[in-house]
Amino acid sequence: MPPTIEELMRALPDEEPREPATLGEPLPVASRRQVPVGRWRRLRLLSTLQAKIGAAYLFYWVRGWFKKAEHRERLLAETHWQTAASLFDSMSYLRGAVMKVGQTLANFPDIVPQAFVETLERLHYEAPPMHWALLREMVHNELGDDPENVFASFDKQAFAAASLGQVHGARLKTGEEVAVKIQYPGIARTIREDFRNFFLFLLPGRLSKDWEYTKNQFDDLRRRLDQETDYVVEAATLAKVRPLFRDDEGIVIPRVYPQYSTTRILTMERLGGVHLDAYLARNPSQEERNEFARKMIRAWYRMFYAGRLLYSDLHPGNFLFMEDGRLGVIDFGFMLPFDDELWELMRLMDRAFTTGRREDRIAAVKAWSWISDDPAEADFLRLTEEFADWEMRARYCGGPFDFGDEADFRQGIDLFSEMLRKRYNKSRACTPVIARQHMGWRALLYRLKARVEIRPLAEEEVKAAGWDRSDYA
Amino acid sequence: MRVTAEAKAETRQRILETARQLFAASGYEASTTREIADAVGIAHGTLFNYFPNKEAVLATLVADATAGLHIDFDRRSPEEGSFEEELFAFVAAGLRKLKPWRKQLSVLLETVLNPLTTAAADGSESMRLWHLETVARLAKHHGLGDLPPVSLQLYWTLYIGLLLFWSQDGSPRQEDTLALLDSSLAMFTGWLQSEKPSPSPNKKGRV
Repeated sequence: MPPTIEELMRALPDEEPREPATLGEPLPVASRRQVPVGRWRRLRLLSTLQAKIGAAYLFYWVRGWFKKAEHRERLLAETHWQTAASLFDSMSYLRGAVMKVGQTLANFPDIVPQAFVETLERLHYEAPPMHWALLREMVHNELGDDPENVFASFDKQAFAAASLGQVHGARLKTGEEVAVKIQYPGIARTIREDFRNFFLFLLPGRLSKDWEYTKNQFDDLRRRLDQETDYVVEAATLAKVRPLFRDDEGIVIPRVYPQYSTTRILTMERLGGVHLDAYLARNPSQEERNEFARKMIRAWYRMFYAGRLLYSDLHPGNFLFMEDGRLGVIDFGFMLPFDDELWELMRLMDRAFTTGRREDRIAAVKAWSWISDDPAEADFLRLTEEFADWEMRARYCGGPFDFGDEADFRQGIDLFSEMLRKRYNKSRACTPVIARQHMGWRALLYRLKARVEIRPLAEEEVKAAGWDRSDYA
Repeated sequence: MRVTAEAKAETRQRILETARQLFAASGYEASTTREIADAVGIAHGTLFNYFPNKEAVLATLVADATAGLHIDFDRRSPEEGSFEEELFAFVAAGLRKLKPWRKQLSVLLETVLNPLTTAAADGSESMRLWHLETVARLAKHHGLGDLPPVSLQLYWTLYIGLLLFWSQDGSPRQEDTLALLDSSLAMFTGWLQSEKPSPSPNKKGRV
């Protein structure tokens, strides 16, 4: 049974937790440092309410992993977690990081309590905005003039919160309706600094056998979050992705207006439509939901095979369900481009996804995670292969797949949790990003209760990769 | 030959304009009072009849840059912002005016921008006075009553800190200064509101 908010709050570490012996002095000092960035009252709000609930939930979850563990092991885990939670609580990148965690967890409505999901939903869309005077200075700094001079009209009230900023409606002098995403000043630097501090927290683990993998994965996440703060990169991604779709496919990627965009401001075509919860509240038919699911899957495959890009930000806030049945895809900040090495691994994965043969899956996961035939890695291999099978079966089985099947969805969560609990983190640096996107898209389809056949879609889209697949049979 | 007040004012203005150009071209540190005097066409010693030192020239240029700000600010179209937001807009408007002098502001730290200085020369004291008058007027307009001297001193200290931070700010387009201003004003207004000042005895609203 899921915990109540009260139970979660009780599970929190004390306000002034004792500092564990495993940490050196610099960390507690750094964690108490006041970073003069951000609007402290807003950030305090986040850090004292939503973030605490978030931290408490994670704490509760992690404790569950150690139910059957030795007392000493459990205590050690709790001590580490308390430190992490208190450090997390004191960090000023909360707006970005908490929302990232929140967006991921909000995809699991049957696992987290409803009140928690609602809190996180508010984090998605209703974070308190920057006031107008600050916003005007940001626009003046970035675009060289006040918003009322740059644009024909500019809404003072934000219509959406982005994880690192907020989004305002505006109209260009040429008449186009646009969405102007504006980043909080200083958030990019603060994220970088807090990541450095968080890295210090990880240092006690440096003697573990898999430290290098942890470190590389952490570095990869840091780099991607850092990249997410540069809207010029996002604008370039949008410009690359948009031509991949035809008008008649019903998938809309917003147009970027580069002359009104900088590293901190991104001006895009404004799409109509509603987010997932509002869409589901209208009780759409099964076929309508299936159709949107097919568009989501097609969009994801198209970027993957034709764009060599992994759309990793699969959370409800990044999809718009438009009145005319089109699907809007927004927010391209958190993307994983495939280099040649990853692309070759994806080809191996494609073989396993297509044939459904166990030996192909084993070959793919062995290559992905450098798993040897050493008996010491047998359980790691078993679990990784089972998780891969859960990921792949919707495609290789063929026929309509019921993504709303709770038992199937829970199996994926259980396998994923087991891997985390057993600390099987020996893998590629981008594995956490890939795991996040995979859980994200399964969770979205689960919430849509979609029943769709994805094999024909995949077969159609994979052609763009240009792989020789003649030996799959 | 008697030098008229008009001629004096004109020479003073030429010194300021020449210094502005030299500081912009060669930087404050590299420019000397002798170079300024030579460029104006006056004896080196004459310059000191107008300004006691190079720093006073800079202080006057800084004060002049923001001289009309409070008037402009009062004339602006009214907006429905909070005290904190209006204060932010006021300070930000000042930063825009001071932008040409951003990197030189730290030079003035020990003198006219010292938060404890109350009687500096060459207009900087008036800069402090009109700035604080505007802050006091905004506070009163938002129902915070007459700000006591300690509140104004606290505000001025924060403001000077902000200017100094700005003068060294290496972040892209000095965005960290905006974040610091936002934090500082949130802290200041939060503190003011927690102080719960008694209603102003002066119903006519003098500031």
